[in-house]
Amino acid sequence: MRLNSLLLTSAVSALGLSAATAEPITVYAPWPADQIDWVAAQAAAAGHEAQFIAGAGGELFDRILAERNNPQADVALGFVDAAMATLKSEGLLLAYEPVWGPDLPEAFRDDADGMVWKFWQTPIVIAYNADTLATEAAPTSWLDLVQPEYQGRYVIGSINWQTTRAYLAGILARFTDENGEVTQEGWDFMTAFYANAIVVEDGDAKTQALASGDAVIDLNWFGGAFNQARDVGYSVTVVDTEGGTPFIADGLGIMAGTDQVEQSQAFVDWFGGAEFMAAYAHQFGRVPNLPQALANAPEQVQINAAMVSPQPLDWDAIAPRLDGWLQTIELEIR
Amino acid sequence: MRGAPSLERVAYWLAVAALCWGLLAFLIWPILSALHTALLRDGTLAIGQVTQELAASRRVRLAVWNTAWMTAATTVTVAIVGIFQVVVLEYLHVRGRTILKVAFAIPLVFGSVVAAAGYGFTYGPTGVVTIGLRQLFPSVPADWFVGWFGVLFIHTFLMTSFYYLFLRAAMRRVDYATIEAARSLGAGEWTILRRVVLPVVAPTFFAVVILTVFVAISSFAAPRILGGRDFFMLTEVILTLNSLRRPDMAALLALLMGVVLMGLILLFQSIEARGARLAGSRTPAPIQLRRVRSRGWNIVLHAACALLALAYFLPVGLVVLFSFAPSSAIGVETLPPSLTLRTYVRVFTDGTAFAPFWASARMALIAVAAGLAVTLFAVPVMLAARNLWTRALDLVFFLPWVLPSVLLAVGLITAFDTPNWLIGGGVLLGSFWILPIGYTVVILPLMVRFLRAAFIGIDPDYDLAARSLGAPALYRFRRVTLPLVVPTAILVSGMAFNDLMTEYPLSAFLYNVNNTPLPIAIVEGAMSPDPEQKALNLVYSVLIMGFSLAVILFAERIGLGRGPRINTL
Repeated sequence: MRLNSLLLTSAVSALGLSAATAEPITVYAPWPADQIDWVAAQAAAAGHEAQFIAGAGGELFDRILAERNNPQADVALGFVDAAMATLKSEGLLLAYEPVWGPDLPEAFRDDADGMVWKFWQTPIVIAYNADTLATEAAPTSWLDLVQPEYQGRYVIGSINWQTTRAYLAGILARFTDENGEVTQEGWDFMTAFYANAIVVEDGDAKTQALASGDAVIDLNWFGGAFNQARDVGYSVTVVDTEGGTPFIADGLGIMAGTDQVEQSQAFVDWFGGAEFMAAYAHQFGRVPNLPQALANAPEQVQINAAMVSPQPLDWDAIAPRLDGWLQTIELEIR
Repeated sequence: MRGAPSLERVAYWLAVAALCWGLLAFLIWPILSALHTALLRDGTLAIGQVTQELAASRRVRLAVWNTAWMTAATTVTVAIVGIFQVVVLEYLHVRGRTILKVAFAIPLVFGSVVAAAGYGFTYGPTGVVTIGLRQLFPSVPADWFVGWFGVLFIHTFLMTSFYYLFLRAAMRRVDYATIEAARSLGAGEWTILRRVVLPVVAPTFFAVVILTVFVAISSFAAPRILGGRDFFMLTEVILTLNSLRRPDMAALLALLMGVVLMGLILLFQSIEARGARLAGSRTPAPIQLRRVRSRGWNIVLHAACALLALAYFLPVGLVVLFSFAPSSAIGVETLPPSLTLRTYVRVFTDGTAFAPFWASARMALIAVAAGLAVTLFAVPVMLAARNLWTRALDLVFFLPWVLPSVLLAVGLITAFDTPNWLIGGGVLLGSFWILPIGYTVVILPLMVRFLRAAFIGIDPDYDLAARSLGAPALYRFRRVTLPLVVPTAILVSGMAFNDLMTEYPLSAFLYNVNNTPLPIAIVEGAMSPDPEQKALNLVYSVLIMGFSLAVILFAERIGLGRGPRINTL
């Protein structure tokens, strides 16, 4: 009997867990702890009850897909273009136009489906430790990194990081044929790119590689490169690469499986609004896509926004292929 | 249960139904689901295609090769160390035998992720030994221990528990009278070892070798923490495949592992059965420990013993010592400059530091409670009637011991990532409950095994006496049988709880981001160069070791050995 009731309760609560009401909404946001803490505090101050689940972007994204039949998240916040495109094509998002949505430039809106709203963007850059690497010795293109002089001087992060996924996609996209498939030349380059690198699984290991002086080149999102340099203590220079720098835009969407639609909508309206976006830009130097927010952002952020030239990338075409590409890298190259 | 009142009968059959449902839903179905995922795609046999894809992957091929040779190498090195331990403890006269005994028993307490993390802390890139080595010889690379060498090293010293437990026991069965007889017939030392001692211990030896192979193949946390970039094993690749959204490839690989392990278990059982027939005399005269006559060899022997004891004590000692060190000393100093309880205080007062501990403890408690409920009901039922059904039940209970945990994990994922009618159309993946359910399943064999022994040991006269006094079945169970098995139940709960606090394979596959269990936190901490993380890890480790030790001492006290659990590393 004890067994019976125990298993029954567990079965019932297993079903009930996702259907609980009057609880904080759950937001999956792949950001560092300091940003999460700050956003959480601001959200609470603005009257939004939200529980933030942080983690590596790729890992959180994988979880959303794994949990597709039992969604834990109410809002997916800060996932990059390819990830948001997949969430949409998998039918995991709910259509909702935030109050600030129409003010976004066209490239960041989702006029067709009204599901994905990209609130800021960031280049994925090659940055280097200017204290130890001379400007003329620095790479000028992503394709330079396989040269012998950069052997063991740059770090490839975990494939679970959105940043890593973004530059890997950016590299492979240069080697696609007319059907959008990666050529043999592309895979050979990728093999050399990995063979030449220090490959790490966590951020601390990367920091250590840069701190020890083994690595001098940081492949990072724009603001991350500066944070990394500050943490380790070197002066950083960002390369405006030949062939362009991949830009990624972070989007948000309300999960189709949410049972707290109104709370989620209210949160989204608040988060992406000009006021909070400008505050975020002041706090962490992010470049908002909303023109009113960018206008109120610090001058440096506005300068940074124009520092590197973008690589033309069609994320909608890349998104459906990215899984296969990452699989090949993970199973055959790494 | 005959003649019981009808309400009790209804309750009984309800419980039987619940038991069958639980086993079907959470054990049989996941296994079938894994099979299905591995073999079929859209209803047609796709095993050839998946096999091809697996074979085409360089990293899968490498993992198979690494696992194969690492298992072979581990078997050899563990046999060398293990036999040496047994010879030193049971055959030769060595000074400091008590200390050696304690040293060689360390893997019983210092196992699983705790040991893997502890060895990482000792010899890893920021490990104490590495720092010391590099101060003496600056040319030593920081990652000298990372890679196959570190994994083989850990395996070698931590997988000797089977030798320590079983081969020693077999050695004690050697009748000294037979040795003396051989000696009086003029046999030399080697002939005695080969012709008298070996035949008695050989079956146990082979069984222990197979157990070592079993554990080495499923090694998970050790290569994860110390394998580095280039050395990885099957379990890790299965995890990778799963995260790459290729459950078919993951399931097939796990299945292949399962087939190999099942073969090993069958081999083990046939050897064990033969061993029972060959067992020596019933009342063997204890072996007189032999003194090594040659002075030179005696010195070599004692030096080897001292070295081996040092190898065992060093990581544990450093983990305990540095758990009291300020975190600033970790990864920097070879000895803590001062001692503090700060990290201990932090584990129990800081929410984020306590969270993994609490997450694991809570899930382990749920699993232990469910496991106890299942076994306390099922074991007497199985013992009361020996028929086809109870025998089948018996087999089902032992499945989690025979199958690799990763197969079970993949099965739980594929079975419950979509609505499943067995649990009322619910989805478990992503929910809190999937991990406690998995935990419950993996501890069932241990609980059934021990509780069965306890129930068998009860004198049937107690029950008869109670029955003749008119006590109904449930009352007899509650007031007569249960109190008699309580010590065993407490013990086995402690063991299961202890195993679950460091359970790595299932945890790695099934944990939730908002509910990180302790073993995951330990492995992440071990791989992170952050001294704060490392400090927390050390305290976690010490607490777990303390608890393990308490469980073992309690087991000794109530007269039960540790039993052959499969210690996943």
